[in-house]
Amino acid sequence: MAKKPIKNIIKLSNDLRWQIGDDFHDNLAEGIYADAAELVSNSVQTDSGKKRFRLDSKIDKIITSKTWGFPLMFLILGVVLWLTIIGANYPSGMLAQLLLDTIHPLLKSGASSIGMPWWLDGFLIDGVYLAVAWVIAVMLPPMAIFFPLFTLLEDFGYLPRVAFNLDALFKKAGAHGKQALTMSMGFGCNAAGVVATRIIDSPRERLIAIITNNFSLCNGRWPTQILIATIFIGAVVPSSVSGLASVGAVIGIAILGMVFMFFSSWALSKTVLKGEVSTFNLELPPYRPPRFWKTLYTSLIDRTLIVLWRAIVFAAPAGAVIWLISNIMIGDHSIAYWMINGLDGFGWLLGLNGVILVAYIVAIPANEIVIPTILMLTVLVTGIAGGEGAGVMFELDSVTATGDILRAGGWTLLTAVNLMLFSLLHNPCSTTIYTIYKETKSAKWTTLASIAPVIMGFVVTFLVAQIWRLFG
Amino acid sequence: MNLSNPIYNLIIFLILSVLAYLLFRPTKGWFWIFKNNLKVNEKTVIEDILKLLFHYENSNKKGTIDSVTRGLKFNDSLIIDVLKEMSIKELIQLDGEDLSLTNSGRDYALKIIRVHRLWEKYLAEKTGFDKLEWHERAEDMEHKLSPKETNLLATELGQPMYDPHGDPIPTHKGKVAEVKGDLLSKLPVNTVGRITHIEDEPDVIYKQILAENIHIGSQIRVIENNAKRIVFYSEGEEFILAPVVASNLTIDVFEKEVTLEEDMVRLSSLQEGETASILGISKECRGDARRRLLDLGFVKGTAIKIDLISPLKNPKAYLVKGTSIALRDIQASKILIKKQ
Amino acid sequence: MKEKKVNSACETCPEYSANGLKKLGVNIENTDYVVALAGNPNTGKSTVFNALTGLRQHTGNWPGKTVIRAEGAFEYNSKKFKLVDLPGTYSLLSTSQDEEIARNFILFGKPDVTVIVVDASRLDRNLNLVLQILEITDKAVLCLNLMDEAERNNIEIDERTLARDLGIPVVPTSARFNKGIPELIRTVNEVAHGIIFCDPHRIKNVPDNINKAVKKLSAELKKQFPGIPNSRWIAFRLLEGDKRIIEALESGELV
Repeated sequence: MAKKPIKNIIKLSNDLRWQIGDDFHDNLAEGIYADAAELVSNSVQTDSGKKRFRLDSKIDKIITSKTWGFPLMFLILGVVLWLTIIGANYPSGMLAQLLLDTIHPLLKSGASSIGMPWWLDGFLIDGVYLAVAWVIAVMLPPMAIFFPLFTLLEDFGYLPRVAFNLDALFKKAGAHGKQALTMSMGFGCNAAGVVATRIIDSPRERLIAIITNNFSLCNGRWPTQILIATIFIGAVVPSSVSGLASVGAVIGIAILGMVFMFFSSWALSKTVLKGEVSTFNLELPPYRPPRFWKTLYTSLIDRTLIVLWRAIVFAAPAGAVIWLISNIMIGDHSIAYWMINGLDGFGWLLGLNGVILVAYIVAIPANEIVIPTILMLTVLVTGIAGGEGAGVMFELDSVTATGDILRAGGWTLLTAVNLMLFSLLHNPCSTTIYTIYKETKSAKWTTLASIAPVIMGFVVTFLVAQIWRLFG
Repeated sequence: MNLSNPIYNLIIFLILSVLAYLLFRPTKGWFWIFKNNLKVNEKTVIEDILKLLFHYENSNKKGTIDSVTRGLKFNDSLIIDVLKEMSIKELIQLDGEDLSLTNSGRDYALKIIRVHRLWEKYLAEKTGFDKLEWHERAEDMEHKLSPKETNLLATELGQPMYDPHGDPIPTHKGKVAEVKGDLLSKLPVNTVGRITHIEDEPDVIYKQILAENIHIGSQIRVIENNAKRIVFYSEGEEFILAPVVASNLTIDVFEKEVTLEEDMVRLSSLQEGETASILGISKECRGDARRRLLDLGFVKGTAIKIDLISPLKNPKAYLVKGTSIALRDIQASKILIKKQ
Repeated sequence: MKEKKVNSACETCPEYSANGLKKLGVNIENTDYVVALAGNPNTGKSTVFNALTGLRQHTGNWPGKTVIRAEGAFEYNSKKFKLVDLPGTYSLLSTSQDEEIARNFILFGKPDVTVIVVDASRLDRNLNLVLQILEITDKAVLCLNLMDEAERNNIEIDERTLARDLGIPVVPTSARFNKGIPELIRTVNEVAHGIIFCDPHRIKNVPDNINKAVKKLSAELKKQFPGIPNSRWIAFRLLEGDKRIIEALESGELV
């Protein structure tokens, strides 16, 4: 398209701008509001004589009060997480029963009846299908509970108050108060937490929120934490308090995650993302009763299903890879065996082992399949009885039996503690990495967000292992 | 290597961490220093010398080879080589030890200063970088922008006349507006005026000014001025400065009998239960942040009161035009009100 | 084809059949008119959008949540309307991403009608955006939403005076309860067809020196680009140094 000759217009506007001075924008904004005030005075009548009961401000006074503000907040977050974890158990069990214990054998027998070669059957059914089934069984129920609850709180208007209450802490870390919400959202799913950072309007603070979201322990990692804590932490204390001890350990890990989140936010804002919050402003909207069913529906469509779909897309190839490395032989042993062997030394240094590291490498797509993969690989390399064959991920109904397999694989209390730490501090799952890239459109920040936590994980587990051994 | 001994492992780790710290610590890390040294080229040196000489000229100081080598952090032999070349290009006049700018040298210097101040303006208006960062970033950018990019930037910023510190920005023709006013340290008691310039060098003093939360554009009244300290009243608060710090503030003294609006105070001083009306937003609040506040209804004449205080005291939510809007105290200090 | 699909309970109510409304959801092909939906955050804009299209879009009460604009459609008297939900913004004068999306759509997308959703109990705050939009476009409808809340707060609004002062039709609604939506659709239709003629309010309280500058610049613009519809607003933007507007003038997009 031909460019129009607008030089004279630009020049005129530059000259005029010079003449009217710096206050132009202020004058214009004030002028518009003055017009608005005139219009309102002509047509709006407020009957201020009637004192009305301001429910809003009553609620606000409690929610943001010095005494009740923080306890209420923790209580609500606690209840949401509790409902999610406990409430998801039952449907998760049913889905596992259906997808893993019923459909999987059916598929297997179906495959053998049509004479499918063992490798195709293994690759598709034991690899791809099993990984996808696992992700759905473990991921869907907690997300289907967590997201609607979260969305209800959001629609009601509570979440902006949380940002308001916590802003002072985030300010110290050089971050934005709204990061409190994206962090809480991360307890459900980090990928959703990353998307939620859109509510933060200044780019610097938004990047900090994106990069540090991974430190929120997500739904995919809660079950791992709970299982390992129950087996190992619960066992070192008298059985009367074992339940309490393992719950305490899991909560401790989640709080440690928040500590790391604040620390990393602070470190980022002091180094690569220097600066101060320039545009902090937060509207505290009036409370509006959320419409329950509509919220349920939209949060399912908008959040749960989108995230689940992405997870499945990434989990399917992971299942295939897991099956392949356990079944393709190099010399006398499978690829998995060689990988585990190669990483055992490094793993030992970190107080972990080769199996755990390999499981975390192949299970990047979804934290949900880490435990099944670890169990399968442990059985594979130790040769103890259990499981359903090379490359077939499994989990046991009995916690004790799971513990027996892990102990046979050489696990100690140190391994358990460090696994819990590493489960918190490692790279985000591939769904989250992909989401970070989509939101930032920057390979640099995506790399930083992916690599930094895993380095922290190495450092922390290394230090714990060495000090443990020094005094142990 | 035997890795089973935790003590050895911890020692190796410690050594590696110290090494990483020395290499990569912010700004002083060896890696960054090395990287910066690679970037130094002749153009940078020429432009820095021109700028320095221009500042000398403005403050009636004489430029000498010695003062230039001491004033810039490049190594001496490089500076002397560059000075020779500059005199061949007729940017400067070399008269024995003495250095002075030629007309073309002065024009060149003005162009660099234009980019520097425009970039500071840009950082202030469009980014969230800390004030302490502006100068250094502009020092870097002034060597990079082409004249065309500079003019585009100026248009985008609306042809600003002053940079955020109150220094005039030269136009593309080299016209410089003048800064009115006297140094705060020289003003007698009871002088009333407005802060028009805050000098950002040296760093140490600038940091002190920032820590006091002194705002450009604020009206002030001098309360006390002696060799020990200078006290002035502004926006409902008293500020106490050492004379050396006060000499970095320029005040435009009101000529006529203008009385200071003594009841103009900062929003941050509003107490719960009080109502006030907004008088305006301080010049210290700029760019997007300022526009956002205006959009949210923080305009002259609007009634305002505290709606909620967060459990940790900061931020506070203010009721403006029927809506509760939370602001941090630092922002509230940049909104001026009159209590009722 | 599922022609008899029931979309909502209201499909059988008299208002519905009388007005011939058909919610088309995401079926946005071959539409006759484009309607933009603008408004402040927290005004129930998405509820209005959903009430018109039958979609269930969730946006939450945050500015900047709708980063991508949502589109839907409805049919009225056998004319198809495409509805574009713009991000909720307080103003069009700043330069945040969502404001730019909203501004660009109203300016360059040239919608046939712009529906501005406002919170009836916070009218003065909301009018800031309304007055800015009216500088850009002539064809607009004010949707006075959340009337139920306003009533609860004892706020009475004289819609006829407001409509006269603003120069555009004003429709009170409570979108949550589907109140006023049929009237809104009818009004949108009438504005689109030119049955209702808008003569929008222009910002008056501008200081003299700025007014003079704007007049000068806008006269120059009119000379250079005869037929430019919103020269005064373009002049405002030029004085602010808006890069996108300068580009648009160069490429001739604006005329």
